Amino acid sequence: MKNNKGQLKIQQMAFMLMAITIFFVLAGMFALTIKYSDVKKNAEMLRMEDSMHLVSKIANSPEFSCGRGFGSDRTNCIDSDKVMALKGNLSGKYKNFWGNISNIEIRKISSGSNKLCNMTNYPDCDIIRLFDKEVQGADTSNFVSLCRKEVYESESYDQCDVAKVMISYNLL
Amino acid sequence: MINEKKATQLPFAWIFAVIVGAFILFLAIYIAVKLINSGETEMDLKIGKEIGILLNPLETGFESSKTTSFSLPVETRIYNECSPAGTFGEQKIKISQKSFNEWTDTNLRVSFQNKYIFSKNYSEGKKFYLFSKPFEMPFKIADLFYLASSKENYCFENAPSNIKEELDNLGQGNIATENCSVNSIKICFSAAAACDIGVDYAGKVVAKKSDRLYFESDALMYAAIFADKPLYECQLKRLMERAEQLSLLYKNKAILISRKECNSNLNLASLGSAAGNFASSRDLVSTSTIANEIKQENELAECRLW
Repeated sequence: MKNNKGQLKIQQMAFMLMAITIFFVLAGMFALTIKYSDVKKNAEMLRMEDSMHLVSKIANSPEFSCGRGFGSDRTNCIDSDKVMALKGNLSGKYKNFWGNISNIEIRKISSGSNKLCNMTNYPDCDIIRLFDKEVQGADTSNFVSLCRKEVYESESYDQCDVAKVMISYNLL
Repeated sequence: MINEKKATQLPFAWIFAVIVGAFILFLAIYIAVKLINSGETEMDLKIGKEIGILLNPLETGFESSKTTSFSLPVETRIYNECSPAGTFGEQKIKISQKSFNEWTDTNLRVSFQNKYIFSKNYSEGKKFYLFSKPFEMPFKIADLFYLASSKENYCFENAPSNIKEELDNLGQGNIATENCSVNSIKICFSAAAACDIGVDYAGKVVAKKSDRLYFESDALMYAAIFADKPLYECQLKRLMERAEQLSLLYKNKAILISRKECNSNLNLASLGSAAGNFASSRDLVSTSTIANEIKQENELAECRLW
């Protein structure tokens, strides 16, 4: 009888300890879930912040900027000939150059159509997509002037349009 | 016999409880420590990424230089690392913060392919200064960022008038051009005795202890002053890797616009090849000579490429 009582006590204690262990495990999992959802939120915020800062300055980066190629110093101006040259031969090398972005798109806003640019139809097109893939996730945008060289009766001249540069990034 | 059993049953229950209790406590403490460590790592990475993001507004348009500062709540070390591997190499930042009087240690780094930061191996403090300057050879290659803690005071003695004017206009808290304090790092532009860093502005050499760092423009001169030699040489190699890709880009652009009666016959292949074969700052002279020739050609061209 006494032996049974002792065994019962041990069983009770074992169940209690198991309950405590399960409690700790559940509490730990709950804490981890909160912590990692916070990490994900922070990472997304950082991506958005990065994309916002990048879009406001990308027109001044050497791969995009007009520089002094169109007569005078121009800021916030994208050289579309340069971007097409970049898209045509070098975009693979620049895949991870600007960090976690998924694509860079420059969209002329003076025309209503949505013709994607490639080497055969340029400059009679509206959207230059740097990387040949669909735009996914969220994006940030900024207005820029988009300039290129044009020819009329064997004379070259500068043609500029208003455009919107959009940087898209994948959501986590 | 019964008494003996009683005596053995009670200690077993206690031993069982103590062992399992200790295991649970150990597990709880272990998890808590792991959580704190991962929290510190997360914070270090977040700060590293934020520093990278902070560099974006410092990108220059046609400004000659820009400055900013940022403060962190605790003592922080910003480790600056560079790798030339890959098409553009990588700028890596590692952050270590003081927590319970110990420096946090993480093996994780935040990497950027499009940033070039020049600083000591690590900068330590709560407040940090950053200034940027565009580097051109002959077209703009990148903006260079110079990072220093507010604890590191730099004094530019007898600097040429253009450098003095630029630094005075920047108004950066840890840079002086006169009345050097005793603890400041002295940068001399003339042969003087008590100097930490000597700059031969005409000869385009920065002398630091036994190291000689060669430069070609003011942007690289500041880079040589603020960075240690291995970092300077590595970042220079990365800059040349980008110059090589930009040469290719301008070559492709020249082909594209030549269809529009817009010709510019520049010898970009020679610049690309010089940049591609760049080994150390000693090669800057030859690369710069080619770059200057191309700069003149571009200015005289029917259609300017940049």
